[in-house]
Order: sequence, then structure tokens, then C-alpha cells
Amino acid sequence: MKKNEPNWLVVLRTVMPLGLSYIPIGLACGVLLHAAGFNHLLTALISVMVFSGGAQFLIASMLTINAPMTTIILMMFFLELRYALLGSSLSRYLKGQRLPFILFFAFSMNDENYAVNYLKFATDKHWKPSQAMLVEHYSLLFWTVSNIIGSLIGSALTINLSVVDFALTALFIYMAIMQTKSRLTILVCALSGVLTIFFLVLMKSTLGLVVATLLASLTGYFIERHLLAHKPESHLLYKVHDPTGQTAMEEDTDK
Amino acid sequence: MQSVSSMSSLDHFWLVIFCAIVAFIPRFFPLLFFTKRKIPEWFNEWMRFVPVSLFTALVVKSVFIDSKYQIMTSGNLGMIISAIIVGVIAFRTRSMTLSVVIGLVSVMIFVLVLHI
Repeated sequence: MKKNEPNWLVVLRTVMPLGLSYIPIGLACGVLLHAAGFNHLLTALISVMVFSGGAQFLIASMLTINAPMTTIILMMFFLELRYALLGSSLSRYLKGQRLPFILFFAFSMNDENYAVNYLKFATDKHWKPSQAMLVEHYSLLFWTVSNIIGSLIGSALTINLSVVDFALTALFIYMAIMQTKSRLTILVCALSGVLTIFFLVLMKSTLGLVVATLLASLTGYFIERHLLAHKPESHLLYKVHDPTGQTAMEEDTDK
Repeated sequence: MQSVSSMSSLDHFWLVIFCAIVAFIPRFFPLLFFTKRKIPEWFNEWMRFVPVSLFTALVVKSVFIDSKYQIMTSGNLGMIISAIIVGVIAFRTRSMTLSVVIGLVSVMIFVLVLHI
């Protein structure tokens, strides 16, 4: 990367893959919200105020089945609870920031820009909170514009929404793969998958996601602690091979 | 998906406001709490496993669980194969755009063309 690049361009380059991925997802979301009866202004408003692909897809699909408002808000509450975990895990990089910064940062944080920022903070010692904020605002811009365009073309096009919904899934798969550092992480992934199915079917709400995430991550933590203390040479602690040769996921900054 | 909801635009407006509040609370307070206080080491070690667990959970939900919270037993083979393809692409190339685009193309082929 060139040294004399202006900051806005450096950040834009970082956020570009996410921005491009947001276009198909945002378009789909706009189409879906339009089908649910949202006008263009409300679609713009929800993209800025809620700014969460999963949440907006959920609201749209709940509205099309005429679910009552209280049910939708309750579902939202459980769906959005997971952000508590995201915020907590980013907080160590945002120490010493002022209250207005934290407020605005939290307002525009979502799964995707969180993943971009977590990756940058973990791998780039010079990554600043102000740049992380800019990542959020760029992604918000991509998201809102895509949503509005999706809403505008809404009725004109017929799109299979379950297919476009997969864009979000592909994004999450990519992020999970990028976070896979040791063999233990693969074990945690598998555990998380099994627990997710179990708790979602059991609890019949997205709260199952929160429970599965908590249990799987805690298990990973305790296994790692046990292995580091008793079996430091365990195969589970081996690093996962990176075919591109980047050591991008090494968390040097913590050592 | 063309059934228009019985709610008015004003209802929708309040829905957006309430959802925004509900979305803001879990994003803000934990972040505020832990940027003001010293984070214990065990908490950091634990948080390292959170993103990967969460993303796996979200993927598993969208591929294996339907909207009624039951395990999908049919109609999701195309998505399963596509998910594996995306995983391989992400692992080999480490490119976000490539992963999403190839994922979309593959799910279109499997679901829309081959109907699996």
C-alpha cells in the first residue's frame, strides 16, 4: 500500500469488498421492504437507523405475514442482542474514546463492518478508531443507497429473494473462515453449528443464536486455557495453514 | 410476497423508531461499559472465540433452519453445496467480493436452474 495515499482512500480501499457485497444484498432488502409496504423514505430511514441486513430482512418478512408490531419488536430485540457480544469484543480497541464517539460508533456498528474493523484492529497496529468509524460510514452509505435503489426498482423486477438472501450467508461464511486461526477454532465452529440447530429448534426464536454463540465461545475459551496450562504441544493449538501465505490473522498486537 | 401489510406508513414509522431503539441498546451499552473499565484478560481470551461462533451460527441458521424454526430436510441441498463452495473460495483466495459473487452465482445455478 502506498504511503502517501490520503486517509479517506485508504479506508475506502479497506471497505470496498464489503461495499460491493452490500450492493446485491441491499438491493434485495429494498425490494423486500417495498413488497412489505414500506415507502422509499421509510426504507431510507430504516437503512440508516437499524442498519442490519438480517434485521431488515426479518422486519420485511414479518410484515408480509401481518405479524403484530409488538412481536416484530420483540423478535428484533432477540436478534439484535448479539451486538452486545460484538461491542464487547471491539471495546479493547476503542479505549479512551469520548462518549460522543462511542455513541456514534455504536449507532452504525453491524455484523459486517464489525468484522472488517475487528480484522483491521487485530492485524494492523496503526488502525485508528477514527478510521474504524469511517469504515462504518462508508458501509452505511453503500447500504442505504443500495436499499433505496432496491426500493425504487421494487415492483418492476421479480427476484427470487431466497437466492439473493444467500449473499448475506456467503459474507458470513467468508468472515468465519477469515477468523479461523487454530485447529481449536474449527472445533468451536462445529460445536457452534450443532448448538445453533439445537437451541433454535428448542427455543423457537433467534435467542437460540445468542445461547449457541455464548456456549460455543466459552467452551473454546476453557479448552484453550486447559490446553495452554496442561498440554501446550496439543495438536488443537496448531495454526491453520493459509494458502495465500498471508499471516493476516496472527494477532501480533496482543503479544 | 405481494401481500401488502395492513399497517399504515405512520405505523411503519413507529416500527422503525422502536426497532432502532432496540437495535441501539445492545450495540451501545456493552461498548460503553468496557471502554471505560479495564477489561479482564480472561474476557479478552473469551471474546476471541465470539466472532467465529456467531458467524457460524448465522450461517447454520440460514442454511439448515427454516422460518418456523424447524430443521430443513429438503430444498436446501443447493444452499449446502453453495456454502461449501464459498468456504473453499474464501479459504483459497481470502477475497470477500469473490466469495460473495461466486456464492450468488452458484446458488442461482443450483436453486433456480437445477431446482435442488
